[in-house]
Amino acid sequence: MQKIKTLLPLLFSFFFFSCHTSYETQKIQYKDYRITKETADDAALKALLQPYADSVNKSMNDVIAVADVTLDKKQPEGNLGNLMADAMLAKAKEKYQAAVDLSVINFGGIRLPTIPQGNITRGKVFELSPFDNIIVLQTLNGKQLQEFFNHVASKGGWPVSGMSYQIKNKQAVNIKIGGIAMDLNKTYTMALLDYVANGGDDASMLRKIPQVNHGYLYRDALLEYFAEFNKSGKRISSKTENRVSYAD
Amino acid sequence: MPTRRKFIAQSVLAAGAVLTSNSVLASLAGSEEIKKLTILHTNDVHSRLEPFPMDGSTNQGLGGVAARSKLISKIRSEEEHVLLLDAGDIFQGTPFFNIYKGEPELKAMSAMKYDAATMGNHDFDDGLEDFALQLQHANFPIIISNYDFTGTVMEGKYLPYKIFKKGKLKIGVTGVGVELNGLVSDINYGNTKYLDPIQSANTIAHKLKKDEGCDMVICLSHLGFKYSSNKVSDEVFARESDNIDLIIGGHTHTFFDTPLVYKNKSGNDVLVNQVGWAGIVLGRLDFEFSKSKNKNLSKSHTVVIGEKTS
Repeated sequence: MQKIKTLLPLLFSFFFFSCHTSYETQKIQYKDYRITKETADDAALKALLQPYADSVNKSMNDVIAVADVTLDKKQPEGNLGNLMADAMLAKAKEKYQAAVDLSVINFGGIRLPTIPQGNITRGKVFELSPFDNIIVLQTLNGKQLQEFFNHVASKGGWPVSGMSYQIKNKQAVNIKIGGIAMDLNKTYTMALLDYVANGGDDASMLRKIPQVNHGYLYRDALLEYFAEFNKSGKRISSKTENRVSYAD
Repeated sequence: MPTRRKFIAQSVLAAGAVLTSNSVLASLAGSEEIKKLTILHTNDVHSRLEPFPMDGSTNQGLGGVAARSKLISKIRSEEEHVLLLDAGDIFQGTPFFNIYKGEPELKAMSAMKYDAATMGNHDFDDGLEDFALQLQHANFPIIISNYDFTGTVMEGKYLPYKIFKKGKLKIGVTGVGVELNGLVSDINYGNTKYLDPIQSANTIAHKLKKDEGCDMVICLSHLGFKYSSNKVSDEVFARESDNIDLIIGGHTHTFFDTPLVYKNKSGNDVLVNQVGWAGIVLGRLDFEFSKSKNKNLSKSHTVVIGEKTS
């Protein structure tokens, strides 16, 4: 602007200045406001939200299960991820009526840091797994599985069920499936989210592998799996058990 | 509007900065020449319309649009010039989104009088068609410079930048979004083209500063704070940026203790801030401006930041 201005006639330059003077930042102050229960509510906003909230809470506040322990999202392994991978494996076997060897969930797909001990509402499961992701099956040979789990290891470790692995230098080592060392020449059937199978979370190596997809929502699998605990009078429990660990 | 708030110089960024700042303060204390702009910001609110439920979880009772709205109204009643901005991922995370597809989120933001927002990757979660459809409930623009929506339903429904006039101040706002490939399902972003965010933002910032005469350029960013890999982040962006004064970040859900200051490629200061996620925190930055004096001198510009104590 400066260069152009010096070339312009004086009159126009004057006009320019009178229109807009340049300002420059001299100091900046910052403040974070934490929005807490003590912060007063805006009645108008609350009224705007009310009809939506009433409807949401009506369908989402049902208690579907009870957690016996606090469930935590952690890397390389956490009891929340293990529970979610277990649910995927059990429900994939049931819904696809197939021999499924293992399941994997992308860590970023777990959308709550923790589920506290106590009642689990339907809404909580929606918050845990808000995406409309579908459980799909892919069959991989040992070599492809190694490549995929190297990616998983580079991301810090994702929850699994039906298998275990260790992380060394951002690579997957000691991969065991059903307790037996992975055979590079064998094929294995894996249950996973369509999002990941389609190359999401940078899993581009899975894009070319065919999928079996019956349109079964992963969130529905979680809701059913949790409800089954309740029906049989059990509380939900899950623990870490070295499914994923660091190799020293 | 002269203010006499206590100011603590927490971060001194260059030897000359204190002198410059103090002399300016001394000469202009009480003067009408100081112009003030209050920037309020959120990111990654993720459909958190109601506070987290009181169920013993870490964030119980935190957040919620009704309380945020009240706080914003209070600040507006105290400050003449306010910009309220969001750095994306408005959608997805509570059943409100599963059921209503983004309508109450955008209605609430409109009621709070948001001035602008950029797009996050989760704003694509119900497809570009849904996002474009829900924009009927927004009375503020979606600003993004590095998604080319030509030939999609978003064509004509977003801005690459917008200039806000606040008293005598001209504030340019642009936005950048994260790489979609490998993050967002192909079907959800369709024919959207991702362009280099640094190049896109710098081109627009140059136009805003040099051609439009903006006093300040803000970039809303959903790139994420920083990564262990060489993926582009706000940190990388800040250092390679030019003509941008403030980057309001998101995506990585990072709660900053203080805004961070980087040197851009011309040696000027650029501020980066991010306030976590879920509307737990409302960020506030008060910028004080004075008439530019060194326009013909070295362009190098340094600012002093401090925690607001009142």
